[in-house]
Amino acid sequence: MYIVYSYFVYLFISVNLTIWVARTLHKRGAIFLVDSFHGNAELAASVNHLLVVGFYLINIGFVALALKTEAVIGNTRAAIELVSDKIGYVMLILGAMHFFNLYVFTRIRHRGNGTPRPPFAPDAILRPAPARS
Amino acid sequence: MKTLYVLYDERCALCKQLKEWLLVQRSWIGLSMIPAGSARAKSMFPALEKIAGANDLVVISDGGEVYLNNHAWIMCLYALAEYRDWALRLASPLLLPLARQAFETLSKNRQTISRWIGSDERAIATELGEVALDTCPAQSTKPVGVEGGSKCSGV
Repeated sequence: MYIVYSYFVYLFISVNLTIWVARTLHKRGAIFLVDSFHGNAELAASVNHLLVVGFYLINIGFVALALKTEAVIGNTRAAIELVSDKIGYVMLILGAMHFFNLYVFTRIRHRGNGTPRPPFAPDAILRPAPARS
Repeated sequence: MKTLYVLYDERCALCKQLKEWLLVQRSWIGLSMIPAGSARAKSMFPALEKIAGANDLVVISDGGEVYLNNHAWIMCLYALAEYRDWALRLASPLLLPLARQAFETLSKNRQTISRWIGSDERAIATELGEVALDTCPAQSTKPVGVEGGSKCSGV
């Protein structure tokens, strides 16, 4: 019966961990995305949501795939070790995904903010500014 | 800054050639080429006469910032996707006086860039110092009634 309990504990912790990370990213990443998309809040919200969906799919998929074990669990110690082992992998994957996301956002942001100021001040200012033609 | 108005010298064949080059580049900022001294330029920028002479190359942003001559050349490069980094580099005090030469070199020969990547400012300056600027071939054919134009300054 150890193995069944181990599986349940593993699933419970991993899925909750995934949900917690996804929510944190969704909440804290929102402002970062708005900035990346030049203040286009609607687009940022849409991308944010899509990213969370992808995050859930990948992580819960990985959690499900990593569930299976050949180990024979005969005592509590082995059960704890197995769960810890599996959760360790899940956390590492979550961490890697998290940093990859940050990397992608930063790239987007750099591209968005790819507007370094002109390297010098203007020679003069025209007032009023030219009308669009 | 969304648009840069480039007031180029329409009487100058070389300038027109460079204008064509500018317009086919990918750019971050929209480039609007306006013949200097034209009716359109005068109606858009009535106050410009007090700021710039007839021979100055003028670039004006949609916010009303005016850049003249060397600064204007650099601003044209700054608008281009591929040359913005170079614009920032060419703005160094050592290279700024050679902006015109740099612009012409870059627009004629893309290979120059790869050669410059490893070089320091001094080496680039030496190389640019040797660039001979063509004089404006259109000077003699300047239309009656248009003042200035003794040297080619527009794009």
